[in-house]
Amino acid sequence: MGRNLLSRTLRIDMVASETLETDAPPGEIPQVVEHLFRHEWGKLVSRLTSIFGIDRLNLAEDLVQEALAKALQTWPYYGVPKNPAAWIMQVSKNLAIDYVRREKVFRDKEAEMISLLEEHNTDSDRSPSFAEEIKDDSLRMMFVCCHPIVPREAQVALALKILCGFSPAEIGKALLASEAAVAKKLTRAKEKIRSAGIPFEVPAGKELSGRLDGVLQTLYLLFNEGYKASSGPRLVREELCHEAIRLTSFLAEHPVGNCPKVHALLALMLFNAARLPTRSDCNGNILLLKEQDRSRWNRPLISSGMFHFSQSAAGNEISEYHIQAGIAACHCAAPNYQSTDWANILSLYDGLIEIDDSPVVALNRAVAIANVHGVAAGIEAVAGIRDRAKLDAYYLLYAVLGEFEAQLNHRDAAAGYFRRALELADTKSERQFLAKKLKASQQGVKEKNHKKGRALEAIG
Amino acid sequence: MSIESTASQYLLLFRNSGEWHRGLSPQELQEVTDQWMNWFNRLSEQGKVTAGHPLAPEGKIVSGKNGQFVVDGPFVESKETIGGYFLLNVESAEEAIAIARECPGLAYGVRVEVRPVAAKCSLRETDGAELAESHA
Repeated sequence: MGRNLLSRTLRIDMVASETLETDAPPGEIPQVVEHLFRHEWGKLVSRLTSIFGIDRLNLAEDLVQEALAKALQTWPYYGVPKNPAAWIMQVSKNLAIDYVRREKVFRDKEAEMISLLEEHNTDSDRSPSFAEEIKDDSLRMMFVCCHPIVPREAQVALALKILCGFSPAEIGKALLASEAAVAKKLTRAKEKIRSAGIPFEVPAGKELSGRLDGVLQTLYLLFNEGYKASSGPRLVREELCHEAIRLTSFLAEHPVGNCPKVHALLALMLFNAARLPTRSDCNGNILLLKEQDRSRWNRPLISSGMFHFSQSAAGNEISEYHIQAGIAACHCAAPNYQSTDWANILSLYDGLIEIDDSPVVALNRAVAIANVHGVAAGIEAVAGIRDRAKLDAYYLLYAVLGEFEAQLNHRDAAAGYFRRALELADTKSERQFLAKKLKASQQGVKEKNHKKGRALEAIG
Repeated sequence: MSIESTASQYLLLFRNSGEWHRGLSPQELQEVTDQWMNWFNRLSEQGKVTAGHPLAPEGKIVSGKNGQFVVDGPFVESKETIGGYFLLNVESAEEAIAIARECPGLAYGVRVEVRPVAAKCSLRETDGAELAESHA
Protein backbone atom coordinates (compact mmCIF):
# COMPACT_ATOMS: atom_id res chain seq x y z
CA MET A 1 0.00 0.00 0.00
CA GLY A 2 2.37 2.65 -1.15
CA ARG A 3 -0.22 5.12 -2.33
CA ASN A 4 -1.14 8.33 -0.66
CA LEU A 5 -4.23 8.45 1.47
CA LEU A 6 -6.70 11.09 2.23
CA SER A 7 -9.05 11.46 5.10
CA ARG A 8 -9.79 13.75 7.94
CA THR A 9 -11.38 12.07 10.88
CA LEU A 10 -11.97 8.46 11.54
CA ARG A 11 -15.35 7.34 12.74
CA ILE A 12 -14.62 4.25 14.68
CA ASP A 13 -17.53 1.94 14.64
CA MET A 14 -15.73 -1.26 13.95
CA VAL A 15 -17.48 -3.16 16.63
CA ALA A 16 -20.89 -4.16 15.36
CA SER A 17 -22.83 -5.19 18.43
CA GLU A 18 -24.66 -8.26 17.38
CA THR A 19 -27.21 -8.27 20.15
CA LEU A 20 -27.81 -5.04 21.89
CA GLU A 21 -29.60 -4.31 25.10
CA THR A 22 -30.91 -0.84 24.66
CA ASP A 23 -32.44 0.00 27.97
CA ALA A 24 -31.64 3.68 27.70
CA PRO A 25 -31.10 5.65 30.86
CA PRO A 26 -34.19 7.63 31.80
CA GLY A 27 -34.59 10.85 29.91
CA GLU A 28 -32.48 9.70 27.01
CA ILE A 29 -33.95 8.80 23.69
CA PRO A 30 -32.51 5.41 22.77
CA GLN A 31 -30.67 5.48 19.51
CA VAL A 32 -30.19 2.61 17.23
CA VAL A 33 -26.56 1.48 17.14
CA GLU A 34 -24.84 3.08 14.19
CA HIS A 35 -25.06 0.99 11.05
CA LEU A 36 -27.06 -1.71 12.81
CA PHE A 37 -29.38 -2.20 9.85
CA ARG A 38 -26.49 -2.53 7.46
CA HIS A 39 -24.53 -4.86 9.66
CA GLU A 40 -27.49 -7.10 10.39
CA TRP A 41 -28.31 -7.29 6.71
CA GLY A 42 -25.50 -9.69 5.81
CA LYS A 43 -26.24 -12.01 8.68
CA LEU A 44 -29.95 -12.18 7.94
CA VAL A 45 -29.67 -12.54 4.19
CA SER A 46 -27.19 -15.37 4.76
CA ARG A 47 -29.54 -17.09 7.21
CA LEU A 48 -32.51 -16.92 4.85
CA THR A 49 -30.35 -18.02 1.93
CA SER A 50 -29.29 -21.10 3.86
CA ILE A 51 -32.98 -21.99 4.09
CA PHE A 52 -34.20 -20.96 0.65
CA GLY A 53 -31.11 -21.82 -1.34
CA ILE A 54 -28.60 -19.69 -3.22
CA ASP A 55 -30.83 -19.30 -6.26
CA ARG A 56 -33.36 -17.52 -4.07
CA LEU A 57 -30.85 -14.88 -3.01
CA ASN A 58 -33.03 -12.04 -4.27
CA LEU A 59 -35.95 -13.33 -2.22
CA ALA A 60 -33.79 -13.39 0.90
CA GLU A 61 -32.76 -9.79 0.28
CA ASP A 62 -36.35 -8.68 -0.33
CA LEU A 63 -37.51 -10.24 2.92
CA VAL A 64 -34.80 -8.57 4.97
CA GLN A 65 -35.59 -5.26 3.26
CA GLU A 66 -39.24 -5.66 4.27
CA ALA A 67 -38.27 -6.40 7.87
CA LEU A 68 -36.20 -3.22 8.01
CA ALA A 69 -39.09 -1.30 6.47
CA LYS A 70 -41.30 -2.62 9.25
CA ALA A 71 -38.82 -1.33 11.80
CA LEU A 72 -39.00 2.08 10.17
CA GLN A 73 -42.77 1.94 10.35
CA THR A 74 -43.12 0.96 13.99
CA TRP A 75 -40.05 1.88 16.04
CA PRO A 76 -40.67 5.64 15.87
CA TYR A 77 -43.97 5.08 17.64
CA TYR A 78 -43.17 2.23 19.98
CA GLY A 79 -39.52 2.84 20.59
CA VAL A 80 -36.43 0.79 19.89
CA PRO A 81 -36.97 -2.78 21.01
CA LYS A 82 -34.80 -4.12 23.79
CA ASN A 83 -32.96 -6.31 21.35
CA PRO A 84 -33.21 -4.62 17.96
CA ALA A 85 -31.15 -7.20 16.08
CA ALA A 86 -33.27 -10.07 17.38
CA TRP A 87 -36.43 -8.14 16.56
CA ILE A 88 -35.35 -7.68 12.96
CA MET A 89 -34.41 -11.32 12.69
CA GLN A 90 -37.72 -12.48 14.12
CA VAL A 91 -39.70 -10.23 11.80
CA SER A 92 -37.75 -11.32 8.75
CA LYS A 93 -38.42 -14.93 9.66
CA ASN A 94 -42.12 -14.25 10.13
CA LEU A 95 -42.23 -12.53 6.77
CA ALA A 96 -40.47 -15.52 5.27
CA ILE A 97 -43.02 -17.90 6.77
CA ASP A 98 -45.86 -15.74 5.44
CA TYR A 99 -44.23 -15.77 2.04
CA VAL A 100 -43.81 -19.54 1.97
CA ARG A 101 -47.43 -20.10 2.98
CA ARG A 102 -48.85 -17.48 0.68
CA GLU A 103 -46.88 -18.10 -2.46
CA LYS A 104 -47.02 -21.86 -2.38
CA VAL A 105 -43.96 -22.09 -4.59
CA PHE A 106 -42.08 -24.54 -2.47
CA ARG A 107 -44.65 -27.29 -2.57
CA ASP A 108 -43.32 -30.38 -0.81
CA LYS A 109 -40.48 -28.41 0.75
CA GLU A 110 -42.90 -25.99 2.38
CA ALA A 111 -43.26 -27.81 5.68
CA GLU A 112 -39.51 -28.28 6.00
CA MET A 113 -38.81 -24.63 5.34
CA ILE A 114 -41.40 -23.43 7.80
CA SER A 115 -40.01 -25.64 10.51
CA LEU A 116 -36.49 -24.34 9.81
CA LEU A 117 -37.75 -20.80 10.01
CA GLU A 118 -39.74 -21.40 13.17
CA GLU A 119 -36.81 -23.07 14.84
CA HIS A 120 -34.86 -20.99 17.31
CA ASN A 121 -37.47 -18.56 18.38
CA THR A 122 -36.47 -15.63 20.49
CA ASP A 123 -35.16 -17.32 23.60
CA SER A 124 -33.00 -19.89 21.98
CA ASP A 125 -31.79 -17.20 19.58
CA ARG A 126 -29.15 -16.62 22.17
CA SER A 127 -27.98 -20.19 22.33
CA PRO A 128 -24.32 -20.57 21.42
CA SER A 129 -25.06 -23.22 18.81
CA PHE A 130 -27.48 -20.94 17.05
CA ALA A 131 -24.92 -18.17 17.05
CA GLU A 132 -22.48 -20.59 15.47
CA GLU A 133 -24.93 -21.50 12.75
CA ILE A 134 -25.48 -17.84 11.92
CA LYS A 135 -21.74 -17.36 11.65
CA ASP A 136 -21.47 -20.38 9.43
CA ASP A 137 -24.14 -18.99 7.14
CA SER A 138 -22.32 -15.68 6.86
CA LEU A 139 -19.08 -17.48 6.17
CA ARG A 140 -20.72 -19.52 3.42
CA MET A 141 -21.97 -16.32 1.90
CA MET A 142 -18.48 -14.84 2.01
CA PHE A 143 -17.10 -17.76 0.04
CA VAL A 144 -19.95 -17.50 -2.47
CA CYS A 145 -19.42 -13.77 -3.01
CA CYS A 146 -15.71 -14.35 -3.49
CA HIS A 147 -16.05 -17.36 -5.75
CA PRO A 148 -13.44 -17.45 -8.55
CA ILE A 149 -16.15 -17.57 -11.19
CA VAL A 150 -17.12 -14.02 -10.32
CA PRO A 151 -14.78 -11.32 -11.71
CA ARG A 152 -12.67 -9.75 -8.95
CA GLU A 153 -14.20 -6.25 -9.03
CA ALA A 154 -17.65 -7.76 -9.09
CA GLN A 155 -16.70 -9.74 -5.99
CA VAL A 156 -16.05 -6.50 -4.15
CA ALA A 157 -19.41 -5.10 -5.28
CA LEU A 158 -21.17 -8.33 -4.37
CA ALA A 159 -19.57 -8.42 -0.92
CA LEU A 160 -20.59 -4.82 -0.35
CA LYS A 161 -24.15 -5.55 -1.42
CA ILE A 162 -24.80 -8.84 0.32
CA LEU A 163 -22.40 -8.94 3.25
CA CYS A 164 -22.22 -5.25 4.06
CA GLY A 165 -25.72 -4.11 3.13
CA PHE A 166 -24.73 -1.33 0.75
CA SER A 167 -27.20 -0.38 -1.95
CA PRO A 168 -26.11 -0.20 -5.61
CA ALA A 169 -26.20 3.59 -5.36
CA GLU A 170 -23.98 3.54 -2.29
CA ILE A 171 -21.59 1.09 -3.94
CA GLY A 172 -21.43 3.32 -7.00
CA LYS A 173 -20.51 6.26 -4.84
CA ALA A 174 -17.80 4.26 -3.11
CA LEU A 175 -16.25 2.81 -6.25
CA LEU A 176 -16.82 5.82 -8.49
CA ALA A 177 -19.15 3.98 -10.82
CA SER A 178 -22.71 4.69 -11.86
CA GLU A 179 -25.53 3.01 -10.01
CA ALA A 180 -26.68 1.41 -13.24
CA ALA A 181 -23.23 -0.03 -13.91
CA VAL A 182 -23.09 -1.48 -10.40
CA ALA A 183 -26.57 -2.93 -10.68
CA LYS A 184 -25.61 -4.59 -13.94
CA LYS A 185 -22.43 -6.02 -12.44
CA LEU A 186 -24.39 -7.42 -9.53
CA THR A 187 -27.05 -8.98 -11.74
CA ARG A 188 -24.41 -10.63 -13.88
CA ALA A 189 -22.52 -11.90 -10.87
CA LYS A 190 -25.64 -13.38 -9.32
CA GLU A 191 -26.55 -14.95 -12.63
CA LYS A 192 -23.12 -16.55 -12.91
CA ILE A 193 -23.46 -17.95 -9.43
CA ARG A 194 -26.89 -19.31 -10.18
CA SER A 195 -26.10 -20.89 -13.52
CA ALA A 196 -22.84 -22.38 -12.29
CA GLY A 197 -24.79 -24.02 -9.50
CA ILE A 198 -22.34 -22.83 -6.90
CA PRO A 199 -23.16 -24.57 -3.64
CA PHE A 200 -23.88 -22.57 -0.53
CA GLU A 201 -21.03 -24.02 1.48
CA VAL A 202 -17.62 -23.39 2.91
CA PRO A 203 -15.02 -25.20 0.81
CA ALA A 204 -13.25 -28.03 2.55
CA GLY A 205 -10.11 -30.05 2.22
CA LYS A 206 -7.60 -29.16 -0.46
CA GLU A 207 -9.86 -26.59 -2.02
CA LEU A 208 -10.05 -24.44 1.08
CA SER A 209 -6.61 -22.85 1.03
CA GLY A 210 -6.86 -21.55 -2.51
CA ARG A 211 -10.41 -20.34 -2.01
CA LEU A 212 -9.40 -18.63 1.21
CA ASP A 213 -6.64 -16.82 -0.70
CA GLY A 214 -9.31 -15.60 -3.09
CA VAL A 215 -11.41 -14.26 -0.25
CA LEU A 216 -8.40 -12.49 1.24
CA GLN A 217 -7.56 -10.90 -2.08
CA THR A 218 -11.05 -9.52 -2.35
CA LEU A 219 -11.01 -8.21 1.21
CA TYR A 220 -7.61 -6.63 0.54
CA LEU A 221 -9.00 -5.04 -2.60
CA LEU A 222 -12.00 -3.76 -0.65
CA PHE A 223 -9.72 -2.21 1.97
CA ASN A 224 -7.62 -0.61 -0.73
CA GLU A 225 -10.68 0.88 -2.38
CA GLY A 226 -11.29 2.70 0.84
CA TYR A 227 -7.65 3.47 1.42
CA LYS A 228 -6.72 5.10 -1.84
CA ALA A 229 -7.32 8.73 -2.54
CA SER A 230 -8.97 8.27 -5.89
CA SER A 231 -12.14 6.52 -4.87
CA GLY A 232 -15.38 8.02 -3.57
CA PRO A 233 -16.09 10.72 -1.00
CA ARG A 234 -13.94 10.57 2.11
CA LEU A 235 -16.46 9.26 4.60
CA VAL A 236 -17.54 6.56 2.23
CA ARG A 237 -13.92 5.50 1.76
CA GLU A 238 -13.48 5.17 5.50
CA GLU A 239 -16.59 3.02 5.60
CA LEU A 240 -15.00 0.69 3.11
CA CYS A 241 -11.92 0.30 5.28
CA HIS A 242 -14.10 -0.43 8.28
CA GLU A 243 -16.18 -2.94 6.39
CA ALA A 244 -13.04 -4.70 5.18
CA ILE A 245 -11.77 -4.86 8.74
CA ARG A 246 -15.13 -6.07 10.00
CA LEU A 247 -15.31 -8.88 7.47
CA THR A 248 -11.69 -9.90 7.96
CA SER A 249 -12.14 -9.89 11.74
CA PHE A 250 -15.16 -12.06 11.34
CA LEU A 251 -13.14 -14.44 9.19
CA ALA A 252 -10.26 -14.51 11.68
CA GLU A 253 -12.62 -15.44 14.49
CA HIS A 254 -14.01 -18.41 12.66
CA PRO A 255 -12.16 -21.73 12.84
CA VAL A 256 -11.88 -21.81 9.05
CA GLY A 257 -10.24 -18.41 8.92
CA ASN A 258 -8.26 -18.51 12.13
CA CYS A 259 -4.89 -18.91 10.45
CA PRO A 260 -1.69 -16.87 10.20
CA LYS A 261 -2.24 -15.19 6.84
CA VAL A 262 -5.70 -13.98 7.82
CA HIS A 263 -4.29 -12.46 11.01
CA ALA A 264 -1.51 -10.90 8.98
CA LEU A 265 -3.96 -9.27 6.59
CA LEU A 266 -6.08 -8.05 9.48
CA ALA A 267 -3.01 -6.61 11.21
CA LEU A 268 -2.08 -4.79 8.01
CA MET A 269 -5.54 -3.30 7.70
CA LEU A 270 -5.62 -2.23 11.33
CA PHE A 271 -2.18 -0.57 11.16
CA ASN A 272 -3.14 1.36 8.07
CA ALA A 273 -6.58 2.30 9.35
CA ALA A 274 -4.94 3.61 12.54
CA ARG A 275 -3.15 6.25 10.52
CA LEU A 276 -6.16 7.38 8.50
CA PRO A 277 -6.96 10.41 10.67
CA THR A 278 -3.57 11.98 10.10
CA ARG A 279 -3.07 11.49 6.41
CA SER A 280 -4.26 14.89 5.45
CA ASP A 281 -4.41 18.25 7.14
CA CYS A 282 -7.48 20.36 7.67
CA ASN A 283 -7.26 21.70 4.15
CA GLY A 284 -7.21 18.27 2.62
CA ASN A 285 -3.53 18.40 1.82
CA ILE A 286 -1.61 15.16 1.94
CA LEU A 287 0.68 14.76 4.88
CA LEU A 288 3.67 12.51 4.57
CA LEU A 289 4.54 9.98 7.22
CA LYS A 290 7.20 12.40 8.40
CA GLU A 291 4.64 15.13 8.91
CA GLN A 292 1.84 13.13 10.46
CA ASP A 293 0.87 13.83 14.03
CA ARG A 294 1.49 10.45 15.57
CA SER A 295 -0.37 11.37 18.74
CA ARG A 296 -3.50 11.17 16.61
CA TRP A 297 -2.80 7.71 15.33
CA ASN A 298 -5.48 5.45 16.70
CA ARG A 299 -3.81 3.57 19.51
CA PRO A 300 -6.50 0.91 20.05
CA LEU A 301 -6.33 0.01 16.39
CA ILE A 302 -2.56 -0.23 16.57
CA SER A 303 -2.77 -2.46 19.64
CA SER A 304 -5.32 -4.61 17.93
CA GLY A 305 -3.03 -4.72 14.92
CA MET A 306 -0.11 -5.79 17.10
CA PHE A 307 -2.23 -8.52 18.63
CA HIS A 308 -3.16 -9.97 15.26
CA PHE A 309 0.38 -9.48 14.03
CA SER A 310 1.62 -11.70 16.83
CA GLN A 311 -1.12 -14.19 16.02
CA SER A 312 0.18 -14.27 12.49
CA ALA A 313 3.61 -15.31 13.68
CA ALA A 314 2.47 -18.90 14.12
CA GLY A 315 3.28 -21.57 11.60
CA ASN A 316 5.99 -21.38 8.97
CA GLU A 317 4.18 -19.71 6.13
CA ILE A 318 5.22 -16.16 5.28
CA SER A 319 2.68 -14.50 3.06
CA GLU A 320 2.83 -11.17 1.37
CA TYR A 321 0.44 -9.92 4.02
CA HIS A 322 2.91 -10.86 6.74
CA ILE A 323 5.60 -8.72 5.22
CA GLN A 324 3.37 -5.78 4.50
CA ALA A 325 2.01 -5.99 8.04
CA GLY A 326 5.58 -6.07 9.33
CA ILE A 327 6.45 -2.91 7.44
CA ALA A 328 3.33 -1.17 8.70
CA ALA A 329 4.15 -2.36 12.22
CA CYS A 330 7.58 -0.77 12.01
CA HIS A 331 6.05 2.57 11.17
CA CYS A 332 3.37 2.28 13.83
CA ALA A 333 5.88 1.27 16.47
CA ALA A 334 8.11 4.27 15.90
CA PRO A 335 7.25 7.08 18.31
CA ASN A 336 8.43 9.59 15.74
CA TYR A 337 9.66 9.56 12.18
CA GLN A 338 13.29 9.88 13.14
CA SER A 339 13.28 6.70 15.16
CA THR A 340 11.75 4.60 12.38
CA ASP A 341 13.63 1.35 12.01
CA TRP A 342 14.46 1.66 8.32
CA ALA A 343 16.96 -1.17 8.40
CA ASN A 344 14.24 -3.53 9.50
CA ILE A 345 11.87 -2.14 6.91
CA LEU A 346 14.46 -2.62 4.21
CA SER A 347 15.02 -6.24 5.13
CA LEU A 348 11.26 -6.73 5.02
CA TYR A 349 11.16 -5.23 1.55
CA ASP A 350 14.00 -7.54 0.56
CA GLY A 351 11.74 -10.38 1.60
CA LEU A 352 8.71 -8.91 -0.11
CA ILE A 353 10.47 -8.43 -3.40
CA GLU A 354 11.21 -12.13 -3.49
CA ILE A 355 7.51 -12.91 -3.34
CA ASP A 356 6.34 -9.99 -5.39
CA ASP A 357 8.93 -8.28 -7.55
CA SER A 358 6.51 -5.82 -9.04
CA PRO A 359 7.90 -2.40 -9.91
CA VAL A 360 5.74 -0.68 -7.27
CA VAL A 361 7.19 -2.84 -4.50
CA ALA A 362 10.65 -2.18 -5.90
CA LEU A 363 9.98 1.54 -5.82
CA ASN A 364 8.95 1.42 -2.18
CA ARG A 365 12.06 -0.62 -1.48
CA ALA A 366 14.16 2.05 -3.13
CA VAL A 367 12.79 4.58 -0.65
CA ALA A 368 13.79 2.28 2.20
CA ILE A 369 17.26 1.91 0.66
CA ALA A 370 17.63 5.66 0.50
CA ASN A 371 16.74 5.92 4.17
CA VAL A 372 19.32 3.32 5.13
CA HIS A 373 22.14 3.83 2.64
CA GLY A 374 21.66 7.38 1.46
CA VAL A 375 19.96 9.13 -1.41
CA ALA A 376 22.48 8.15 -4.06
CA ALA A 377 21.86 4.50 -3.30
CA GLY A 378 18.15 5.18 -3.56
CA ILE A 379 18.50 6.70 -7.01
CA GLU A 380 20.57 3.75 -8.12
CA ALA A 381 17.95 1.38 -6.80
CA VAL A 382 15.24 3.11 -8.80
CA ALA A 383 17.34 2.94 -11.95
CA GLY A 384 17.72 -0.76 -11.36
CA ILE A 385 14.05 -1.56 -11.01
CA ARG A 386 13.07 -4.51 -13.13
CA ASP A 387 10.34 -3.61 -15.63
CA ARG A 388 10.85 0.01 -14.72
CA ALA A 389 9.03 0.99 -17.90
CA LYS A 390 5.81 -0.11 -16.28
CA LEU A 391 6.12 2.83 -13.92
CA ASP A 392 6.31 5.36 -16.72
CA ALA A 393 2.80 6.63 -16.08
CA TYR A 394 2.97 6.19 -12.31
CA TYR A 395 3.20 9.58 -10.71
CA LEU A 396 4.88 8.31 -7.55
CA LEU A 397 7.94 7.25 -9.52
CA TYR A 398 8.61 10.86 -10.41
CA ALA A 399 7.58 12.10 -7.00
CA VAL A 400 10.16 9.80 -5.39
CA LEU A 401 12.90 10.77 -7.86
CA GLY A 402 12.01 14.41 -7.37
CA GLU A 403 12.39 13.92 -3.63
CA PHE A 404 15.77 12.29 -4.06
CA GLU A 405 17.07 15.05 -6.31
CA ALA A 406 15.72 17.71 -3.97
CA GLN A 407 17.62 16.12 -1.08
CA LEU A 408 20.78 16.41 -3.14
CA ASN A 409 19.94 20.03 -3.95
CA HIS A 410 19.69 19.28 -7.65
CA ARG A 411 16.93 21.82 -8.01
CA ASP A 412 16.41 21.64 -11.73
CA ALA A 413 16.33 17.87 -11.81
CA ALA A 414 13.90 17.85 -8.90
CA ALA A 415 11.63 20.41 -10.56
CA GLY A 416 11.63 18.37 -13.74
CA TYR A 417 10.52 15.27 -11.92
CA PHE A 418 7.84 17.05 -9.89
CA ARG A 419 6.48 18.63 -13.03
CA ARG A 420 6.15 15.23 -14.64
CA ALA A 421 4.53 13.81 -11.51
CA LEU A 422 2.07 16.69 -11.48
CA GLU A 423 1.00 15.84 -15.00
CA LEU A 424 0.26 12.27 -14.02
CA ALA A 425 -1.37 12.71 -10.63
CA ASP A 426 -5.03 11.72 -10.39
CA THR A 427 -6.53 13.63 -7.56
CA LYS A 428 -6.71 17.20 -6.44
CA SER A 429 -4.93 16.56 -3.17
CA GLU A 430 -2.08 14.76 -4.89
CA ARG A 431 -1.70 17.61 -7.35
CA GLN A 432 -1.78 20.18 -4.57
CA PHE A 433 0.93 18.27 -2.77
CA LEU A 434 3.12 18.01 -5.84
CA ALA A 435 2.58 21.64 -6.77
CA LYS A 436 3.89 22.56 -3.34
CA LYS A 437 6.94 20.37 -3.90
CA LEU A 438 7.53 21.84 -7.32
CA LYS A 439 7.34 25.36 -5.99
CA ALA A 440 9.72 24.53 -3.15
CA SER A 441 12.28 23.06 -5.51
CA GLN A 442 12.00 26.02 -7.83
CA GLN A 443 12.61 28.37 -4.97
CA GLY A 444 15.57 26.24 -4.05
CA VAL A 445 14.43 25.64 -0.54
CA LYS A 446 17.30 23.79 1.02
CA GLU A 447 16.40 20.56 2.62
CA LYS A 448 18.36 19.49 5.59
CA ASN A 449 20.95 17.04 4.55
CA HIS A 450 21.85 14.28 6.93
CA LYS A 451 23.93 11.36 6.03
CA LYS A 452 22.90 7.80 6.41
CA GLY A 453 19.48 7.08 7.81
CA ARG A 454 18.39 10.55 6.91
CA ALA A 455 14.73 11.30 7.08
CA LEU A 456 13.81 11.00 3.46
CA GLU A 457 10.16 11.72 3.24
CA ALA A 458 8.46 8.43 2.76
CA ILE A 459 5.17 8.52 0.96
CA GLY A 460 2.96 7.28 3.75
CA MET B 1 -70.55 34.00 18.80
CA SER B 2 -67.24 32.20 18.58
CA ILE B 3 -64.41 32.27 20.99
CA GLU B 4 -60.82 31.79 19.89
CA SER B 5 -59.33 28.68 21.44
CA THR B 6 -55.77 28.84 22.66
CA ALA B 7 -54.85 25.39 21.52
CA SER B 8 -56.35 23.09 19.01
CA GLN B 9 -55.96 19.71 17.52
CA TYR B 10 -54.68 18.78 14.14
CA LEU B 11 -54.29 15.46 12.53
CA LEU B 12 -51.21 14.73 10.48
CA LEU B 13 -51.89 11.94 8.04
CA PHE B 14 -48.81 10.42 6.44
CA ARG B 15 -49.67 9.54 2.89
CA ASN B 16 -47.37 7.49 0.78
CA SER B 17 -47.31 4.78 -1.77
CA GLY B 18 -46.88 1.53 0.10
CA GLU B 19 -43.59 1.07 -1.67
CA TRP B 20 -41.86 4.25 -0.59
CA HIS B 21 -39.40 2.58 1.73
CA ARG B 22 -38.66 -0.32 -0.60
CA GLY B 23 -36.18 1.71 -2.55
CA LEU B 24 -34.15 2.81 0.45
CA SER B 25 -30.88 1.19 1.41
CA PRO B 26 -30.51 -0.32 4.90
CA GLN B 27 -28.46 2.72 5.88
CA GLU B 28 -31.13 5.12 4.66
CA LEU B 29 -33.86 3.11 6.36
CA GLN B 30 -32.02 3.38 9.63
CA GLU B 31 -31.41 7.09 9.22
CA VAL B 32 -35.06 7.78 8.55
CA THR B 33 -36.04 5.53 11.46
CA ASP B 34 -33.72 7.47 13.78
CA GLN B 35 -34.98 10.80 12.49
CA TRP B 36 -38.62 9.85 12.76
CA MET B 37 -38.10 8.47 16.26
CA ASN B 38 -36.38 11.66 17.40
CA TRP B 39 -39.10 13.75 15.79
CA PHE B 40 -41.91 11.91 17.52
CA ASN B 41 -40.09 11.84 20.86
CA ARG B 42 -39.30 15.52 20.75
CA LEU B 43 -42.90 16.45 19.94
CA SER B 44 -44.12 14.16 22.72
CA GLU B 45 -41.83 15.76 25.25
CA GLN B 46 -42.99 19.18 24.19
CA GLY B 47 -46.57 18.04 24.69
CA LYS B 48 -47.37 18.77 21.08
CA VAL B 49 -48.37 15.30 20.03
CA THR B 50 -50.97 13.45 22.04
CA ALA B 51 -51.16 10.31 19.98
CA GLY B 52 -49.54 8.66 17.02
CA HIS B 53 -49.59 5.26 15.46
CA PRO B 54 -48.52 3.49 12.34
CA LEU B 55 -51.28 1.89 10.34
CA ALA B 56 -50.81 -1.66 9.16
CA PRO B 57 -51.12 -1.99 5.42
CA GLU B 58 -53.91 -4.55 5.38
CA GLY B 59 -57.46 -3.44 5.85
CA LYS B 60 -61.03 -3.65 4.71
CA ILE B 61 -63.43 -1.20 3.19
CA VAL B 62 -67.02 -1.40 4.23
CA SER B 63 -69.67 0.16 2.00
CA GLY B 64 -73.25 -0.17 0.86
CA LYS B 65 -76.36 1.12 2.52
CA ASN B 66 -76.38 -1.65 5.05
CA GLY B 67 -72.68 -2.13 5.09
CA GLN B 68 -73.14 -5.21 2.98
CA PHE B 69 -69.96 -4.74 1.00
CA VAL B 70 -66.76 -5.60 2.75
CA VAL B 71 -63.78 -5.72 0.46
CA ASP B 72 -60.05 -5.82 0.92
CA GLY B 73 -58.39 -2.48 0.71
CA PRO B 74 -56.81 -0.17 0.37
CA PHE B 75 -53.98 -1.98 -1.35
CA VAL B 76 -50.40 -1.08 -0.59
CA GLU B 77 -49.57 -1.20 -4.25
CA SER B 78 -52.07 1.56 -4.86
CA LYS B 79 -50.90 5.05 -5.40
CA GLU B 80 -51.33 6.34 -1.91
CA THR B 81 -52.41 5.01 1.41
CA ILE B 82 -52.18 6.40 4.89
CA GLY B 83 -49.21 4.88 6.67
CA GLY B 84 -49.75 6.47 10.04
CA TYR B 85 -50.89 9.55 11.89
CA PHE B 86 -50.00 12.04 14.59
CA LEU B 87 -52.64 13.82 16.64
CA LEU B 88 -51.18 17.23 17.39
CA ASN B 89 -52.04 19.61 20.16
CA VAL B 90 -50.80 23.00 18.93
CA GLU B 91 -51.61 26.68 18.87
CA SER B 92 -52.38 27.15 15.22
CA ALA B 93 -52.59 25.76 11.76
CA GLU B 94 -49.27 27.40 11.02
CA GLU B 95 -47.65 25.49 13.80
CA ALA B 96 -49.18 22.23 12.63
CA ILE B 97 -47.86 22.89 9.15
CA ALA B 98 -44.43 23.79 10.48
CA ILE B 99 -44.34 20.48 12.30
CA ALA B 100 -45.52 18.64 9.19
CA ARG B 101 -42.64 20.13 7.26
CA GLU B 102 -40.22 18.35 9.57
CA CYS B 103 -41.43 14.92 8.55
CA PRO B 104 -38.34 12.84 7.64
CA GLY B 105 -40.28 10.93 5.02
CA LEU B 106 -40.82 13.99 2.87
CA ALA B 107 -37.45 13.55 1.23
CA TYR B 108 -38.62 10.16 -0.02
CA GLY B 109 -42.01 11.14 -1.36
CA VAL B 110 -44.17 10.92 1.73
CA ARG B 111 -46.94 13.52 1.73
CA VAL B 112 -48.33 14.89 4.96
CA GLU B 113 -51.97 15.84 5.09
CA VAL B 114 -52.71 18.42 7.78
CA ARG B 115 -56.32 18.44 8.93
CA PRO B 116 -57.82 20.45 11.75
CA VAL B 117 -59.90 18.43 14.12
CA ALA B 118 -63.24 20.25 14.03
CA ALA B 119 -64.21 21.83 17.32
CA LYS B 120 -67.24 20.35 19.11
CA CYS B 121 -69.07 23.59 18.67
CA SER B 122 -67.98 27.16 18.24
CA LEU B 123 -67.70 27.60 21.97
CA ARG B 124 -65.37 25.51 24.04
CA GLU B 125 -66.90 23.58 26.90
CA THR B 126 -65.43 25.67 29.71
CA ASP B 127 -66.34 28.93 27.99
CA GLY B 128 -69.83 27.57 27.47
CA ALA B 129 -70.06 26.77 31.17
CA GLU B 130 -68.99 30.30 32.09
CA LEU B 131 -71.53 31.73 29.69
CA ALA B 132 -74.24 29.53 31.13
CA GLU B 133 -73.35 30.72 34.59
CA SER B 134 -73.39 34.36 33.65
CA HIS B 135 -76.82 33.86 32.16
CA ALA B 136 -78.12 31.94 35.12
